Amino acid sequence: MAKSVLNESRQIERAVALIHLGARLQVLESETDLSYERLLRLYKEVAGKSPSKGQLPFSTDWFLTWQPNIHASLFLNTYEYLGKVSALDDIDAIMKAFKLYCEQIASCDVEPLLSITRAWRLVKFIDNNMLTMTRCSKCGGHFVTEPYENARHFVCGLCEPPARAGKSALAGGIMLH
Amino acid sequence: MTNEQILSEIREANLTYLMLAQNLIRSDRAEALFRLGMSEESADLIANLSPAQILKIASGNMLLCRFRVDDDIVWNLLTNHTTRKVDNDATTRLHASILMAGRYSEAMQP
Repeated sequence: MAKSVLNESRQIERAVALIHLGARLQVLESETDLSYERLLRLYKEVAGKSPSKGQLPFSTDWFLTWQPNIHASLFLNTYEYLGKVSALDDIDAIMKAFKLYCEQIASCDVEPLLSITRAWRLVKFIDNNMLTMTRCSKCGGHFVTEPYENARHFVCGLCEPPARAGKSALAGGIMLH
Repeated sequence: MTNEQILSEIREANLTYLMLAQNLIRSDRAEALFRLGMSEESADLIANLSPAQILKIASGNMLLCRFRVDDDIVWNLLTNHTTRKVDNDATTRLHASILMAGRYSEAMQP
């Protein structure tokens, strides 16, 4: 395929937006056609520092623990909403949903737990059927769960918080009372 | 409130709503559809209104925007009115946000 300048400028624009949101280099590599060297240079130029090294540490387990699950579910509902009502590239939908997630979390005075990299990871896990959304039998909301959750008996972590949930004294966490 | 006041308040609210909606749709369509909770078709319609049309449409005796969700669960969560296992205000609003973000059927054209 001939190199399109216009396409390349679009790729750079997307990469810059992702770097501004704090994305790891792996996300940029996966979501743009730019070479590793160019991305590295771009990252240093935009962020003013070298990107963090190493593997992305996240497994599906993290998304299933109580607090992260609530954050992940809010993000994913927003992401799916955007996907349903308009035709967007996946990565654009992820960036928009992440922005809206951060706004909503801030309006509830809670610290955001999800980073753009984690949000991106979550969408990949959903795409690969390693995680799914299940409807809560009490409130009817959709929450991130394992793929084989029993939908008939599933109750979300907000309708029935686990015994030790919300006990953390950390500021910016989700509180029960 | 006199009847005249009521009509002028409705006009004011309609104007504010339509102008906000138009701005949102023109600056970021997808995001606007989420924020406004409306269908693509309605959004296209509003985006293309001229200022004169907006003025005309705004001055009726009916409000043009309405409740996004007519659902007891969501409203009870938003107002934190029912006694539940969780009664932290911020957390119940977070719960309501999750439910509202999951309701895209209202924004889809049947």
